[in-house]
Amino acid sequence: METECCWTKDVVTAAECPQVTAHEADLYDSLESRLPAKCLECPRFARDLERLSRKQEPVGRALVILSAEVRRQKNQLSIMVGSLDSRNLEIQFLHEIGGVLQTSLGLDEVLSVALTAITAGKGFGMNRAFLLLSDKERRYLKGYLGVGPRNYQEAWEIWAEIGKTDYTLKEMAKHFHDAKLSAEKDKFRDILEQLTIPMTDQDHILNRALNERRAILVQDAYHDPAVDQRMVRILGVDTFLILPLLSRNRRIGVIIADNCITRKPITPQDMHSMETLTFPVAFAIERASLYERLHEDLRKLTTANEKLKEQQELIVRMEKLALLGKITSGIAHSIRNPLMIIGGFARSLLKNTPAGDPNRESLQIILAEARTLENTLTEALAYADSILPAMDQWDVNQLVVNVSQEVRKIAEGNGVALVLDLAPDLPVISMDYRQMAYCIKKIISNSLKDLSPPGEIRVATRLERDCVLVEIRDTVVPAAAEIGAGAPFSEHADLHVPGDMDLSFCRVILENYCKSFTVEEDEGKGRRYALRLPLKKEGVDHE
Amino acid sequence: MSRILVVDDESSIRLLYSHELADEGYEVVTSASAADAVDKLRKDEFDLILLDIKLKNESGLDLLQRIVKERHNLPVIICTAYSCYKDDFSAWLADGYVVKSSDLTELKEEIRRVLDKRVSRNSPKKTQ
Repeated sequence: METECCWTKDVVTAAECPQVTAHEADLYDSLESRLPAKCLECPRFARDLERLSRKQEPVGRALVILSAEVRRQKNQLSIMVGSLDSRNLEIQFLHEIGGVLQTSLGLDEVLSVALTAITAGKGFGMNRAFLLLSDKERRYLKGYLGVGPRNYQEAWEIWAEIGKTDYTLKEMAKHFHDAKLSAEKDKFRDILEQLTIPMTDQDHILNRALNERRAILVQDAYHDPAVDQRMVRILGVDTFLILPLLSRNRRIGVIIADNCITRKPITPQDMHSMETLTFPVAFAIERASLYERLHEDLRKLTTANEKLKEQQELIVRMEKLALLGKITSGIAHSIRNPLMIIGGFARSLLKNTPAGDPNRESLQIILAEARTLENTLTEALAYADSILPAMDQWDVNQLVVNVSQEVRKIAEGNGVALVLDLAPDLPVISMDYRQMAYCIKKIISNSLKDLSPPGEIRVATRLERDCVLVEIRDTVVPAAAEIGAGAPFSEHADLHVPGDMDLSFCRVILENYCKSFTVEEDEGKGRRYALRLPLKKEGVDHE
Repeated sequence: MSRILVVDDESSIRLLYSHELADEGYEVVTSASAADAVDKLRKDEFDLILLDIKLKNESGLDLLQRIVKERHNLPVIICTAYSCYKDDFSAWLADGYVVKSSDLTELKEEIRRVLDKRVSRNSPKKTQ
């Protein structure tokens, strides 16, 4: 039989077989390769078989049938290879996502990866995606994040920008997280705020996807009575995909994805591919939220630990103070009583000793020494009593008024005027009233001791930038030895006066309380004590 | 003459008070313990009690509560080595609080003040 095609020849030329292309030159020399690869598709070969079949040759009929079957199987194989390639790409992509998700610990970081994967062209290529997360009480699904363009113009801009870059998924997700996340949240805020679905509404399509643990592809949503029409109007599309996010039995949330711009149909294959993605995403979201909770617990634990440490330190301090209290209590009893007896009897004897009696002087000395000891004891006990700070909010003016009332009588008795010049509307200050009152009283008393009539002590209060100033001025002109060359004593001036324990106590207290404390000569007119009490206490240790 | 009961476990202090207050014209009776004081209060009449807080194995504040309960019109002045009890609620039941000192001037003034107050409270009101 004459053949139109070259299939009967082992070796052919390019002119004989137009089916073979230039880069398939090896096919010219091999009929075994050329026949299945090219002849089956060749119309001349088909016509040869047809002619053979018409000649009632049994082999001709068989060849036609076999040839058709081979073609069919070849086509099927080609489809399967295509599908396999696509699956391979998908597996590679999911592997990449898995890797990225594994290293993402923050919730927003995980969400950036997930939504980038769904919307990126290198990923599933959906136009837009919304994420709804269940609240802590698992009562509502609430819109949390939206990704994608809002209109055509924005879509072209975004896709043009993406086209210029060659980011990997990880890089794209990072770029999104760092540069776009908050803007995307804002962009879709109006939609996200409306996307709140009660989880008790079992018929709602989002809850159905969660309960049935499967993705749902919604088509023709505007006419589907099973779909919440309010939600459809908010989304503005009739085809969208619902992907439930479940981790073990926990309902984490839902992703809604659509092609609102391109209107490209969503295939069941797309649905299954994205469904596969939801498992690692849900797991990563749960892990991120557990990680956040762990961080929060760790923070609470650290705070509790710090507090515990503070409490332990406080307990140690309180124990020391309690011991101090016990000691002072013992001192009070075991010293004051004998002092009272010694001094009291000396006074009694002195009363009954006539003038000129040589014993009078001795008795007077006993009396004076007993009084000195009593005063020292009183001050030491007062300090010990006030050493435990009781911090509270106090009006400085009220404190000054109260202290001045206590010392006014003594001042007037000594011919000294006590003048108050108090600024109105001072803010309250956090301080230990007893300790501050003790110090101000001691400073005034010290001035009174050194003043000769007619003298003046002026107590003023002023509001300064970040503190309240308490200024005590007297008219005692200090000797050169007391204040060196008229210069300020410097901050936290040394109030120690040999033999005067009161002022040493004051110094200790004021060092703790005052932002600054200065004592200086007031241009030859007297002394000026300036106590600056901070409006806000910062890191001041009240020992 | 006003009668004062001094309750203090220190014999020297009781002696000092006896001398000094007798000089001021008071009749002074002393007790070294709470039990003895209660006994004396049952048997005799007093115008004022001078009470120490730390008595041997006893608290003067407990005795004060008992006195207030049984003889609520009888004034009490706490005379103690401790200033801290001034803020103690139990001590507020007393009519006066004086910290012990070799100079008894403050104590004497306080006694006069409390007794004067008692006299004015007990004296019949003038009628028009």
